[in-house]
Amino acid sequence: MIAIFFLLALLQIKVPDAASIVGQPQGAPLSGPQLEQKTMAISAELRCPVCQGLAIGDSPSIMAANMKAQVRELLARGYTEEQILSYFEKSYGQFVLLKPKFQGVNALVWILPVVVLAIGFVLVVSKAKKLEVAPVAAAPEEPADDPYLARVRERVEKQ
Amino acid sequence: MNRTVLIIGIIIVAAIVFVLFAGLGNDPQHIDSPLIGKPAPPFALKSVNTGETIDLASLRGKPVIVNFWATWCVPCYEEHPTLVANARQLPNVQFIGVVFNDTEDKINRFLAERGSAYPTLLDANGKTAIAYGVGGVPETYFINSAGTIVAKFEGPLSTEQLQENLAKALR
Repeated sequence: MIAIFFLLALLQIKVPDAASIVGQPQGAPLSGPQLEQKTMAISAELRCPVCQGLAIGDSPSIMAANMKAQVRELLARGYTEEQILSYFEKSYGQFVLLKPKFQGVNALVWILPVVVLAIGFVLVVSKAKKLEVAPVAAAPEEPADDPYLARVRERVEKQ
Repeated sequence: MNRTVLIIGIIIVAAIVFVLFAGLGNDPQHIDSPLIGKPAPPFALKSVNTGETIDLASLRGKPVIVNFWATWCVPCYEEHPTLVANARQLPNVQFIGVVFNDTEDKINRFLAERGSAYPTLLDANGKTAIAYGVGGVPETYFINSAGTIVAKFEGPLSTEQLQENLAKALR
């Protein structure tokens, strides 16, 4: 009787399902080594919410272990990497993605280094061109009638 | 040319300093919830107090405060009396505790020692916590009578913070 009661209670338990968040699975269900490999790969892309910049795959925290188990379960059900990342993003926002998306302010993360590199390149090239064009300064000619030089020459010759 | 290089350099350095300064001022544990203004993820979990299953959907029509906690969370001990006292004073608000990665024994011992005034549900594998974007415990979500999440609070709540956030659910 108690077992039936617990079974009924278990059947009534309902947790938020990925299908209601990102729709039906769009890939093939994974299993075995392929499942483990893909779980590790996706776990490396998701930030652990209780750690400082660690991926859930590298974190020993309970929260990260739960999230990793969720990734494994979704892959086994046939969810694609894109769907799984979207599933976590819908709950945690872009914070959870270790690789920021190319949109909004986050786009600066991708654009800024390229822009700064380009500016640096242009500056170096323009500076180098100017150095090439600039004439080499000629050595100043000795004045023929410098009395000091004449005295020096005279002494050197005497020795 | 040198003047131009200097100005560009100053602008770049100022931008980097500004971004670092703004970033250092932020709480690294804080996560802006994308769920604010969205329907609360549905769940039906078993109450450790009574053994019955409580479905969030059945509570539609009154404000709900969902508090994620655990017996292994030290700040949760500090917060618990505040939640119990407010739950007793606010009968028109449904308080729900959701405990993840914990055991019924430990939860029941905690509640027996510290009192209980609302259902405490067990989220055995943390799936509900993940769907709510819980980063750490305690964390509290305020849901209005239409079932929309209106606020999220990270850390142990004081009565003032609880009432301030609850006001958003009562609007």
